[in-house]
Amino acid sequence: MSKWQNQLRNWVSQYFDLPADVMLDLPRITTIGSLHAYVENCTGLLHFSDQEVRIQYRRGELSIKGKDLRIKMMLKEELLLEGELQSIDFKELKEGGVE
Amino acid sequence: MRKGQLAVLQGKLIITAEGQVLEAFMHACVKQGCTLSNIKYLSDKKVQMAVLLQDWPKIRKLRKHYRCKIKIISKKGAPFFYKRLISRKAFVTALIIGFMAAFLLANTLWSIKITGLDPELEAEVESKLRTYGIQPGSTTFSMKPPREVQRLLLEDIPELLWVGVKKQGTSYQLYGVEQTNYDEAEEPRPSNIVASKKGLITKMFISKGRPLVEVNDVVKKGTLLATGELKEDSGKFIESEGEVIAETWYRVEIDRPKEQNWGLTDGESSQSFSLVFADVSIPIWGFWRKNENNVRKESYDHRFKLFGWEFPVQLKQTTTFTNENKLQSLSEEESIKDTLRTAKQSLLLQLEENAKITEEKILHESEDRGKVKLILLVKVEENIAETKYVSQGD
Repeated sequence: MSKWQNQLRNWVSQYFDLPADVMLDLPRITTIGSLHAYVENCTGLLHFSDQEVRIQYRRGELSIKGKDLRIKMMLKEELLLEGELQSIDFKELKEGGVE
Repeated sequence: MRKGQLAVLQGKLIITAEGQVLEAFMHACVKQGCTLSNIKYLSDKKVQMAVLLQDWPKIRKLRKHYRCKIKIISKKGAPFFYKRLISRKAFVTALIIGFMAAFLLANTLWSIKITGLDPELEAEVESKLRTYGIQPGSTTFSMKPPREVQRLLLEDIPELLWVGVKKQGTSYQLYGVEQTNYDEAEEPRPSNIVASKKGLITKMFISKGRPLVEVNDVVKKGTLLATGELKEDSGKFIESEGEVIAETWYRVEIDRPKEQNWGLTDGESSQSFSLVFADVSIPIWGFWRKNENNVRKESYDHRFKLFGWEFPVQLKQTTTFTNENKLQSLSEEESIKDTLRTAKQSLLLQLEENAKITEEKILHESEDRGKVKLILLVKVEENIAETKYVSQGD
């Protein structure tokens, strides 16, 4: 994704008040307390253990840490995590870094 | 709806996967359209998960590519259950046959008990029941309800005063009461014959007694027509009997609306069936037929019983007749004719059986607010003989 395209998208989403996750290919994460995390718009599973789950999205990587993590359901671009969540970290890659 | 919710029907496999690149394998599976659920972390290179049976071929293909070891831990859901049943064919067949037999036997009539009647009548009741299709060994599905049987029996056997029909489990219990006819005492009672109505005598035949009037006499109500005293002033009376036909006159006033609304059923009917659980009715047959608004419906509930326990499900049979409402507007001539006919019929209903209308004449005819009003004079020939008993002795 080239830089000007990215900026255009950013501008469009702000100008037209469109949801950012749709326009910018960002993951949408819904959590219910620390019990569930519902991740949409993810593109891959990088690591899975009961302590940490790393998920890839188009522009970076997302790491969810916790205890007794389980994947309740896994679909093409969706993931429902269960367990005791502790933290969610984002690691955005530089332009052109991913794929 | 989420895909996983139908897992019970589709069949579910619980597997463990072991390999170096598990995450990539799982992701590849998902990309192919599989649904993975309940993924549990077992050890560093081993996870447990549940997959749908329909996704299994895809997973097997990918397994080789990603070099994973897959072990099936358990199989759940309808397809596996079904397979297990199929492998025990005899058992399933026996189960079905057994259930059907029990159902059939429970819905078979085994005995008919008739009480309160003498043997002749009992035999007659039994033979009548047989013609209705009620006899030991027949199934109760096609039987008429007891109430209907009761009505039919009372109609067909005049000697029955009353009959109670009860269906108890697999037996029919009938309790009958016989009609006892008391013969009237055949004692000759001295009597005369008098006129019950005013009329012109046209024909008379006195079989017992002495006639006092002749044909073409006009008699008033109460006139003595024949006497049981054979000899004049003898004081000895016999019972007189006879028939006196006279012409009588009636004034009839009648009105009928000119426009008549007729509901016609043209004999076309369709049947539909539905299963009824408590208040919920589920159509199973014939529901696709569209009914016009103008229909007449008759429905009957079939109940099923097993060992005295009633099935919560009833079969409801609805017969729909197409109904045609026809507004019949009659011409003046027709409506007069129609009114005349009605008048004659209703008059005859009030008279005795052998009465005959010989002539009718319209005295007055008027029409008011869509109604035809007629005043008629009707000549009737009827028996006006009335037996009057004579008190004798002192």
